[in-house]
Amino acid sequence: MSERDPLEGLRPAPVKQDFSQPFWDGAAQGKFLLQYCPESGKYQFYPRPVSVQTGKRNLEWREVSGRGTVYSHTVTYRSPIPVKGIKPYIVALVELEEGVRVMANLIGCPVEAVKIGMAVKLAWVKAGEDNFPAFEPA
Amino acid sequence: MPQRDIAIIGASETKIELRSGRTTYDLAGEAMAGALASAGLEKHEIDGLAVTSCFSDAGNPFFSPILAGYLGLQLDWCQTTDLGGAGATGSVARAAMAIRAGLCHTVLVLSADAQSSDNRGDIRGFRGEFQYPVGIMGPPGYFGLLSNRYDHQYGLDPRALAKLAVTQRDHALLNPLACDKLRKPLTEADYLASPMISHPIRMLDCVMVADGASACIVTTTERAKAIGVKRMAHPIGYGERVNHLEAENCPDITKVGQEVAGAKALAQAGMKIGDIKQFHPYDDFLIAIILQMEGLGFCKPGEGCKYVLEHDFHFNGDLPLNTGGGQISAGQAGLAGGAHNLTEALRQLFGEAGERQVKDRSNAMVTGIGWIPYGRNWGSSTVLVLEAG
Repeated sequence: MSERDPLEGLRPAPVKQDFSQPFWDGAAQGKFLLQYCPESGKYQFYPRPVSVQTGKRNLEWREVSGRGTVYSHTVTYRSPIPVKGIKPYIVALVELEEGVRVMANLIGCPVEAVKIGMAVKLAWVKAGEDNFPAFEPA
Repeated sequence: MPQRDIAIIGASETKIELRSGRTTYDLAGEAMAGALASAGLEKHEIDGLAVTSCFSDAGNPFFSPILAGYLGLQLDWCQTTDLGGAGATGSVARAAMAIRAGLCHTVLVLSADAQSSDNRGDIRGFRGEFQYPVGIMGPPGYFGLLSNRYDHQYGLDPRALAKLAVTQRDHALLNPLACDKLRKPLTEADYLASPMISHPIRMLDCVMVADGASACIVTTTERAKAIGVKRMAHPIGYGERVNHLEAENCPDITKVGQEVAGAKALAQAGMKIGDIKQFHPYDDFLIAIILQMEGLGFCKPGEGCKYVLEHDFHFNGDLPLNTGGGQISAGQAGLAGGAHNLTEALRQLFGEAGERQVKDRSNAMVTGIGWIPYGRNWGSSTVLVLEAG
C-alpha cells in the first residue's frame, strides 16, 4: 500500500488464458499490446481467441499509446481484496485513443479528483509478479 | 394475435432465508411440492424440467438430471438454463417451446439456490485475468461505473432510488415469505444514510444474497382446462437478448438489452407498454429498475428518475411494481432470485397475493437480468408478458 497506489503489493496474480500470452509478454517489457483485427480495422480488449468483429483467427498484436480518457469510475470503499484498513481507491473505465475500453485502477489521483472525461495515461503496476495496466492523470 | 395455447397453472415459493443451512435439493423439493399443490396436479403428470443454474451446486455437470432424480421425476425433456437471474423467465419460454415442439406436455420450471449457505461458484475467463487484479467490488462496483456514467449523461436523483427502496420494503412487510432480516420498515433517510460500497452504490442499493426456491408448472391451455384448472396465466410475449451491443467496443453502458427484448415481447403480445398493469422488473440494484423503465419505454432515456418521482408503485398505486418486495427487500435466493419476481407476478395474476393483491390483475410484465460482462451493461436480458386466463 502506498499513497500513490492503495493496492500496491495487494493485487492477485492474473489467471491467464493461453491466447493472451502475447499481452503478458508485452507487459513484461513495458509494452501495452492489444489485439487488432486487420479486416475491420478495430482493436479489442480483453484478449479473445477470435476477432469479435469477424469471428476469424487472423488477429495481430499491436502496441498502443496508453493514452485515453475516463469513461466512468467508481470509488471502492468495500474491497473484495481481503486486507484490513485499505484506503478507498478508484476503479475507472478508460477509453483508449484506439477505441477500446480498459477497466483499471486510477493511481496518483485523489478519490475526489476523478472526473469523467479527464485525460489519463498508462502506468504499470504489479499484479502478483506480472506487470498489470493502470492509469494516472495525464 | 397473441398465442394463448400455453398456460402456467401453479406457482410456489419457499421462505427466503439467510444462511439457512439447507441444500438446493431440499429447497427444490419444497418448491415442487408447493407448485404441485397450487396446480392441483399429481407428480407423475410432469414430463419436463427446466431448472436455473445455481451457485450452491455449481461445478456439477449433471445438475438437472441429478435434481430430477432427487425429486423422483421421469422425464422426456430436461435442461439447465444458465442465464443467471434471467434463468426463470428464460425457462418459461424454453418450456413453452418444448411443449409446442411435442417433446413433453407438462414442465416443472424450477429455480433453487442456497448461495448464502454454500457458494461453489468459480467464474473464470476474463474475471481472473483482468477483473480481480483491479479490485472492483463485484456487481456493486460494476453498477457504480454504470451509475456514475448515467449521472454524467442525465443526472441521477438519489430521491428516486430511495423511493423505489422504500416502496419495495413496504411490499416486503406484506410478504411473509420475504427474508426476516429485511422485513423492517425503511425510510428515505435510512436509504440516504446507508454506507457506501462502491460510489455511488450504497448498501441499500444492493440485493442481499440468501437461500430459497420457486417453482411453477407450464402446460397446454387445453390440458389445463381438461383437468379443471380454475385460474391460469398465459405467457403471451417473450424476448431475450444476450450480450447486447457486444460488437461495439465503446457502447453507451446505460443501454440495456431489455430495449430489444421488450419490444419483441410486446409485439408478440399485441400490446404497448402503456397496456402493462403491473411491472415486476429484475432488481439486483435499484438503478437497474430505472434503466429498464427507460429501455422498455415507460419513459424516455434519462427521464427515469422523474418518472419514478411522479408515480406510485405500491400494490394499490398507478403501476404496481415488485409487490412481493423484489429481491432487494425480499432477499436474493442466489441465481434463483429472478424467480421471485416471476412467482410474485403469478400470485398476482392468480388473485392469490393476499393483502397486497393488485386491483387490475389482467396482465403483468416480468424481466430478468443475468451476469455482468467486462466493463459493460449486464449480459442477459429477458422480458416476459403474462396474461391472466
